[in-house]
Amino acid sequence: MTSLEVSHLDVKFGNRKVISDLSFSLSSGEIASLLGPSGCGKTTLLRAIAGLLTPSGGTIRLGTQLVGLSSLSLAPHKRSTGYVPQQGALFPHLNVARNIAFGIDKKKFSRSQIESRTFEMLELIGMSGYEQVMPTELSGGQQTRVALARALAIKPKMVLLDEPFSALDAHLRNELRADVIALLRSLGATAILVTHDREEALVASDKVFLMRDGAIAQYGSPEDVYENPTSPEIAVSTGDAMILPARQSMDGTVSYPLNTIVNNAAGSKGYVVIRPEEIVVSQQSSVGMKAKLLALDYFGHDAMLTFSLAHTSDLIKVRVAGHAGYLVGETLSLSHEGPIRFFKE
Amino acid sequence: MSDTLTRSGRTSSRLVALASAVLLVTFIPLFYLVIRAAEKPVGAIADLLLRPRTVEIVATTAIILVAVVLINVLLGTLIAAGIHFVRLPYAHLLIIPMILPLAIPSYVFTYTWIALVPDLSGVVAAIFILVLTTLPYMMLSIVIALRRLDSGLIEVARTLGLSKTAILFRVVTPQIKGAISAGSLLSGLYVLSDFGAVSLLNVTTLTVSIQNLFKSTYDRSGAAIMALVLVAASTVFIALESGLKRRQANESASRRTGTKHLRISNSSARISLLVLVSAYTFVGVIAPISVLLSRFFSNSAPIQWAELFSAGLSAVSIAAAGAGLALLFSIPLGALVAQGSSRFALFSEKAVLVSHALPGVVIGLALVSLGSKLGPLYQSVALLAFAYAILFLAKSVAAMNYSLQLISPSVKEAAATLGKSKGEIARTITFPIAFPSIALGTLLVFLTAMKELPATLMLRPIGMETLATQVWSYAAVSKFNEAAPYALLLIIIAAVPTFLLSLPREALDRPRNSVRDLQLGESR
Repeated sequence: MTSLEVSHLDVKFGNRKVISDLSFSLSSGEIASLLGPSGCGKTTLLRAIAGLLTPSGGTIRLGTQLVGLSSLSLAPHKRSTGYVPQQGALFPHLNVARNIAFGIDKKKFSRSQIESRTFEMLELIGMSGYEQVMPTELSGGQQTRVALARALAIKPKMVLLDEPFSALDAHLRNELRADVIALLRSLGATAILVTHDREEALVASDKVFLMRDGAIAQYGSPEDVYENPTSPEIAVSTGDAMILPARQSMDGTVSYPLNTIVNNAAGSKGYVVIRPEEIVVSQQSSVGMKAKLLALDYFGHDAMLTFSLAHTSDLIKVRVAGHAGYLVGETLSLSHEGPIRFFKE
Repeated sequence: MSDTLTRSGRTSSRLVALASAVLLVTFIPLFYLVIRAAEKPVGAIADLLLRPRTVEIVATTAIILVAVVLINVLLGTLIAAGIHFVRLPYAHLLIIPMILPLAIPSYVFTYTWIALVPDLSGVVAAIFILVLTTLPYMMLSIVIALRRLDSGLIEVARTLGLSKTAILFRVVTPQIKGAISAGSLLSGLYVLSDFGAVSLLNVTTLTVSIQNLFKSTYDRSGAAIMALVLVAASTVFIALESGLKRRQANESASRRTGTKHLRISNSSARISLLVLVSAYTFVGVIAPISVLLSRFFSNSAPIQWAELFSAGLSAVSIAAAGAGLALLFSIPLGALVAQGSSRFALFSEKAVLVSHALPGVVIGLALVSLGSKLGPLYQSVALLAFAYAILFLAKSVAAMNYSLQLISPSVKEAAATLGKSKGEIARTITFPIAFPSIALGTLLVFLTAMKELPATLMLRPIGMETLATQVWSYAAVSKFNEAAPYALLLIIIAAVPTFLLSLPREALDRPRNSVRDLQLGESR
């Protein structure tokens, strides 16, 4: 498959700018996630790449081919992007086999070639034997699989997935996502996955693009965007995080509620971002800050503890494995063992 | 290589041009009427409009309109609610005799009732006949709304402590207001445009006066002025209804249907329902059909088979041409709406709605006046087919829009990314999915056109008769036996299929998607 390069892209709906001056690139074989709240422009970006809408400015390049230049645009059917829309959008009047074969060029390939390609695709998605089944008889997960097979059957230059798993229940979603990503990797596909599920973005991709208000706020490897957010807001968008008041002194040391009493500290005002799994709870009173356990939310594989500190109104959230046997109301010690991410006010 | 970058327009200009052409053609009759009316000096127009006779005609029309709609609202709500809520064995089958009258045009009703009660005439008789004819529209509309009620709302209201009666008034009634208003629109437009019933009953409404002015005095300008008054009345009526509709709240997205918590099972309710239903079945189904059959079999003179056959053939062929033309006209308009809500698409939707307000008499008059200028087209089959196409354009466009909405945009987008051009998408996706309901819609237009009376009377070629004109002509001179075969044939080949096709399945059983949005048309 090919690389993708988007530069200085603008998209307007009427007078409203939905995407402004957006640039990014993907190498061949890379899988990227577009993560952002609804309305941030991620689906719009995907549709612009597929050619389903025309940008008002900027360029889009698939491999070496220029497919979009300012308000000029190559029609979607000439781009060969494998597009998997939300909920599949299977052709309701065609059976599974005909859906998959729909985009294969009938002039270029013989009937037997098309049939064997369809069969191959069905095997790939683990649905051999479903040739004659109509879309309405398929489950949600099966519909997504067929939509993916239909997109892959044309040997696209890249695969664009628009929240393909959002309609599925959690268990099925994780399983299907793992299958789909493994499949795309085995094919060496360049792919973009649009999602508003932060865990999905982290687990599925090589690169995560965080979108905010029609622009990319930060991008990088999943570890990088999770560990090194460039703003408190971004930190929250990739996972649970606490934003606590802090001060930074001239020599660079940061005081925040888990190492000192901030109100008394000197230095410039700001915030630190701490993730709940970075805090260690201990019963020994000699280490860390004393805190009272206010609530315990038990999730099975882990639990979220909520503490109050004596000298501040900010609540501290701590993630611990299992139940760990703490009692609400008891006083424990908290210490932070992780990077100190300081952001000036 | 053809992989060139192109500037993509929002709506193709060819489509806009085609749609504009269709709209223009549709409004030719109306433009012509205005021109014709303007030939009279203003003083003469004022005289015509203000003369006591005109006031009387408008008042008569208004009285019949208001009375029919009010009686329909009352009876329709009562019967529909009865069928829906009263617990009776096989209650859902009660609806069948209640909607069978949809198969009988007003002039056939009138003629059978005059055959039974020879003195039948006047305003009260007209109200009676028109209620008979239009009550099914109202009832069907309400029954469907009741079947679609969200049972979740009723369950919530129960848990909030509301009694059954309180729920009926505070939860159910607000939800069926829209259906009552839609039913009022259908029956009201039927009344305004009806010519057959009122003319046979010697009641001069606007439609009859237009026909009279046109026939007796050849005062085309006078007729044109009265026609514009009628168009204005229909337009006001449509505007009133859509104003009501706008205030309706949107339906909730997720819903479960069914109202089993509200069943009524006391015996007085059961008996009243049975009495109401039997009474309507008698006057609306048993009486007219038995008159037709007895007149048919007691006819001493031999039936003119050749005449019957040729009237049937003319009716079928002209109606088919009209439906085909309406289909052609509706393609660009439907495609325009399907492409998205551009300002022009919204305008064209409204414009088509206005064409709904043009009764057969008005189209007939306009085209007759225009036709004499068109040379060979005058009193030709083609002109009559064109009249049908304009008359039933709204219906045809509704069917087209409904059919095209069956295809979700994301399906077409998926096809585009799979390498299909716009033309290929139309051929492989849009057409196969939309075809069945477009065909059904066109068939309904065809069947409705077969029953059309006033425009056919004015525009048919000299010496040519259709089933509708034959029924009316024989009935007008009290030759009831002679009219019977034509009426029966009309009901068998036009009305019964219309009834069966347009019958929403959900009216008969569990709620389900149906072609409801295509139907509820009318024969005037």
